[in-house]
Amino acid sequence: MTDFHLDARVLAAYVDGGLDDADAWSVEAHLDRCAGCRAGIVLDEPTERLVEAAAVALVRRLPPPGRARPASTWRRLRVLLSAAPAARGAWLMAVAVAGLAFLGASVGPATLPPWLLLLLAPALPVVGTALSYGPRTDPLHELVAGTPHGGLRIVLWRTLAVLTATAPVAVLAGTVTGLGPPAVWPLMCLALTALTLALGSLVEPATAAGVVLGMWALVVLAPFGAWAVVVDSGPVWLAVTTAALAVLYVRREQVGRRAA
Amino acid sequence: MTTLSIRGLRVGYGRRLVLDDLDLELGVGVHGLLGPNGAGKTTLMRVLATVLRPDRGDVRLLGQPLADDAGLRRARRRLGYLPQSFGFYPRFTVREFVEYFAWLREMPPAEIPLAVDRAIERVGLLDRADDRMKHLSGGMLRRAGIAQAIVNDPGLLLLDEPTAGLDPEQRVEFRALLRELGLDAVVVVSTHLVEDVVAACARVSLVDNGRLVFTGLPDELIAAGEDGDSGDSPIERGYTAVLRGAREAAR
Repeated sequence: MTDFHLDARVLAAYVDGGLDDADAWSVEAHLDRCAGCRAGIVLDEPTERLVEAAAVALVRRLPPPGRARPASTWRRLRVLLSAAPAARGAWLMAVAVAGLAFLGASVGPATLPPWLLLLLAPALPVVGTALSYGPRTDPLHELVAGTPHGGLRIVLWRTLAVLTATAPVAVLAGTVTGLGPPAVWPLMCLALTALTLALGSLVEPATAAGVVLGMWALVVLAPFGAWAVVVDSGPVWLAVTTAALAVLYVRREQVGRRAA
Repeated sequence: MTTLSIRGLRVGYGRRLVLDDLDLELGVGVHGLLGPNGAGKTTLMRVLATVLRPDRGDVRLLGQPLADDAGLRRARRRLGYLPQSFGFYPRFTVREFVEYFAWLREMPPAEIPLAVDRAIERVGLLDRADDRMKHLSGGMLRRAGIAQAIVNDPGLLLLDEPTAGLDPEQRVEFRALLRELGLDAVVVVSTHLVEDVVAACARVSLVDNGRLVFTGLPDELIAAGEDGDSGDSPIERGYTAVLRGAREAAR
């Protein structure tokens, strides 16, 4: 910036095209250097739109400065997924449990009881989801929580990433154990995850996951064999999912935006 | 023109009252927010950044009332925020980091690549744009943080201690950037460095103990100081004089 600034009337004449060429050139030479005077240019709305459109069109045609990436959907998805380190953690956990399931299948149910897989497989997405957002586990929470896309929307994206990794493991575990129809296993994952999200709008996500997992452990480990019943109650799981989603919708402004 | 207005703001953590009945109106330009540590500066910034919900009070940002969901979303799109401390995802490059926030603030996709590079260039980090965040120094991290805050050309820019970790040369460049940004946006800079205020701010507000105790031009703050007040510069003397006056009045 320089100390010299253009007179408002000169600037207005320049915008209206009222200056001769030589004067207009010197005005432009100054505008190139001076952000203050550039900010003083007042355009009417059609002209502003035209300038905006020209800028966008030019950028598309110019070779990108540095190594700017085009804003493709694919790149958005990639940035989004690498933005949730915990989603990657869920992948690792899923692989570990899948290994456990295969081990169970090869050594027989005597050494690896089916209730252990039932306890672990639907718990994976709960843990993964709870770790993927919130002030304690997301290092950028403070920044993300203040953005329009940062609440429920980003949380649902990350949950989707975690479920994509963990639901197939649940199907696998269901097949290996032979408990209930395999389709009920991913449904259990979905229901417990939705419960965690809904509860996470009231308390810390980690606390919500703890409560949900505690209840789940009680059900699976109950002495009277409740675990045999849960795998056969598809409609109940559907009802739980629906109820949790309703709570989630009502409290959407609180999801993923709790202050530290 | 007022683009930020706060009335009767009250925020507490548990039983402790952090901000008490605070009123503030700000228009376009660079505003310095001064105050001792623990005065409530960061809490005020977090309320303005829509991260912290106030217990009571009416907050309007860029003409949008925050009590209404649609207004809140519109305000958030035009907001830029740099918290005092922020983490990062180690695998992100600077460009990905800035791009992520352009996307989170719902910018039109066609504008994002240019806006990202422009923001990184304005903080002087373009040569490190493809480096991973974990390989950056403290000052560079802070500049990457400033880049994400300005990527959407915010109408309201909130910077909490932005000069911490910058060397003297970078601070001078940053002040020039601030003056440029303040031409068409409300810029609120919270700082404890009084010299930043003199160099870059058109107005200054002073917060002490959860209350606004002074708001005016930097020259008016300087004029409040007398030779007997402690401080190494005229504005430091003004700062201590205003604080002392406010504390005596509160008693």
